[in-house]
Amino acid sequence: MLLSCCSVTGVFDRDQSAARLSHLIRVVMWSYYPELLAKPVPRYTSYPTAVEFNSSCGADEYVRALRDLPPGTALSLYVHIPYCQSICWYCGCNTGAAGKVQRLTAYLEALESEIALIGRLLGGRGKVRHIAFGGGSPNAITAVEFVRLLDRITTIFDAGIPQISVELDPRGFTSEWALAMAASNVGRVSLGVQTFAPHVQEAIGRIQPFADIEKSVSALRLRGIDSINFDLMYGLPRQSLQDLDETLVQAIRLRPSRISLFGYAHMPDMIARQRRIDGENLPDAELRFAQSALGYERLTQAGYVAIGFDHFALPTDTLAIAAKEGRVHRNFQGFTDDPNDVLLGFGASAISHLPGILLQNEKNVGRYRSMVSSDQVATVRGVGIDEETRKRGAIISSLLCQGQVDAGASRMLPQADILDIFEEKELICRRDGKLVITEAGRPYARHIASLFDQFRTQQETAAA
Amino acid sequence: MSDCFTCVVRNRAICASLETDELQLLGKLGRNRTIKRGETLLWEDDPAPVVANIIDGVLKLSVNLQDGREQIVSVMYASDFIGRPFGKESPYRVTAMTDAQVCVFTRSSFDNFAREHPDLQNKLLQRTLDELDRAREWMTLLGKKSATERIATLLIELSDRLSVDGCSPETLYLDRFELPMDRQQIADILGLTIETVSRQFTRIRKEGIIELPDRRTVIIRDRPRLKALAQVA
Repeated sequence: MLLSCCSVTGVFDRDQSAARLSHLIRVVMWSYYPELLAKPVPRYTSYPTAVEFNSSCGADEYVRALRDLPPGTALSLYVHIPYCQSICWYCGCNTGAAGKVQRLTAYLEALESEIALIGRLLGGRGKVRHIAFGGGSPNAITAVEFVRLLDRITTIFDAGIPQISVELDPRGFTSEWALAMAASNVGRVSLGVQTFAPHVQEAIGRIQPFADIEKSVSALRLRGIDSINFDLMYGLPRQSLQDLDETLVQAIRLRPSRISLFGYAHMPDMIARQRRIDGENLPDAELRFAQSALGYERLTQAGYVAIGFDHFALPTDTLAIAAKEGRVHRNFQGFTDDPNDVLLGFGASAISHLPGILLQNEKNVGRYRSMVSSDQVATVRGVGIDEETRKRGAIISSLLCQGQVDAGASRMLPQADILDIFEEKELICRRDGKLVITEAGRPYARHIASLFDQFRTQQETAAA
Repeated sequence: MSDCFTCVVRNRAICASLETDELQLLGKLGRNRTIKRGETLLWEDDPAPVVANIIDGVLKLSVNLQDGREQIVSVMYASDFIGRPFGKESPYRVTAMTDAQVCVFTRSSFDNFAREHPDLQNKLLQRTLDELDRAREWMTLLGKKSATERIATLLIELSDRLSVDGCSPETLYLDRFELPMDRQQIADILGLTIETVSRQFTRIRKEGIIELPDRRTVIIRDRPRLKALAQVA
């Protein structure tokens, strides 16, 4: 076994780690080119990304886009619950402490108003095929409140029997909630796990005993909900390769149908709660790369199929099947087999995607509540998607989701030779008229995709 | 304040599991209202959203679509709990289809009470799940079922829900009952025209599945065939 003698003195044991890292990297046939990974690039959960949103798009544009939707359009809905029982330090999501019951109740009332408002604007157009609950922690609200919310969506939007997915905090996940989810036909669940190593949990402010995860998984499976995703993280403070390895082994033993392995992004200037994380204790770029490689090796060895750059799914999972059939898409929740182009977001900070436009709701909960309770649409910023942007978005999506794109896409590169450096190192190759990201190129996928991003290259030319 | 101890649906309503002292407390939170057929139920002097127990009568729950049309989301009977909060600008409207009697609570006071009484909380969850199921079934009915299937579904439901003995916790399947609503109301509920409703009634009668001795009375002669028509599983 790769790491049987790895010491646990943390990330700073350079002599042992260096040898181990390069061994590991060789095993997965990934090569480490730090110069190619130096520039930070977005995760591209949308294109353009949220950075490009501005206040020139807002309520009027949303109303118009809703009005222009053809009848029978397949819809995906997203509902944001920006509350957690306790806040983890690494989290960049829009959330806050749940606090008093009244606060949650008031927010739910606002959500219900927004649902009714958008329902009126839609006027019966659109068929809801997918509903996703995210946050924060959707299970910060009670089971009854969840069912009521779902019921309201079902009646206002004539939702029939859509696919429903819910993000959950395993801490405080009750059997009542499991019952409510099973009875309301929730098919897919995502658990926030991150790490099982106690000292890492301490360092990120998320103490979560393994038993909580086990219990949650059992409760869900007992009730027939067995499409379960674990969110895991690497690059966490005090997290060694062994810490990650042990977490992976334990996770694999529970055999969730999906695992998402995200790299921690430390941005304390932008995300105030991350200031509680000691920047001195973070894995450096090389260790992060090795951790990502370890994740890939462990999970693929265990029978998971790698999807895109950070998702892994069992072969029987719908995402793995979609990958085989070239049907993987990308949305705010990551890689998905949900093909729906039209996404309506509800709640503070929720993002909507309609033909030709991306829009985002007011982030501040108080302002969001006063807007929707006075019958005002809550979208306050966004960006239009013109034809060129749409094409570039399709290329980026194809590279990230299918690992390849039509060779003709290189017409959209700022310079013809910009791919050369990736080609030389065999991170990308040409095959059957396509540009294909090789297995070795997988860790570089986002960087390769960003070459087609007109907003990045604009920034660079401006900076030059 | 409600007198729970003489309540006709005491054994079947959501509060059925409560002990005497708990019932007394709950009764203080609830308010008894009598409404006439056609009246919209609201607790006027309290702007908070409300939930309600139906003691007697038949009520409909509806939403207004953008084009002004009313879509009936649910028909509810004695001992049903209307758990979808309505009032205070919520989109649901509750209207009496017959003269009715209800027991009304603000949502917050009912929910708070339930939180302290786990048994009631369980029942609340169960009833809320039932409402969700019925909403889905209803959408399917309106979206997919033929006129005949809709009428048959309603007749089966009415015979199940209209019980002679209000106190009994058991459901009696009635083979003879009075329709609590007229043909026009049936048409509204099922999303059909009144002509179609009349035609379907005649058709089902001619097949010997039901008898219609008068405008309001229905006698079910062949329940299995009626169920088959309704596509009841």
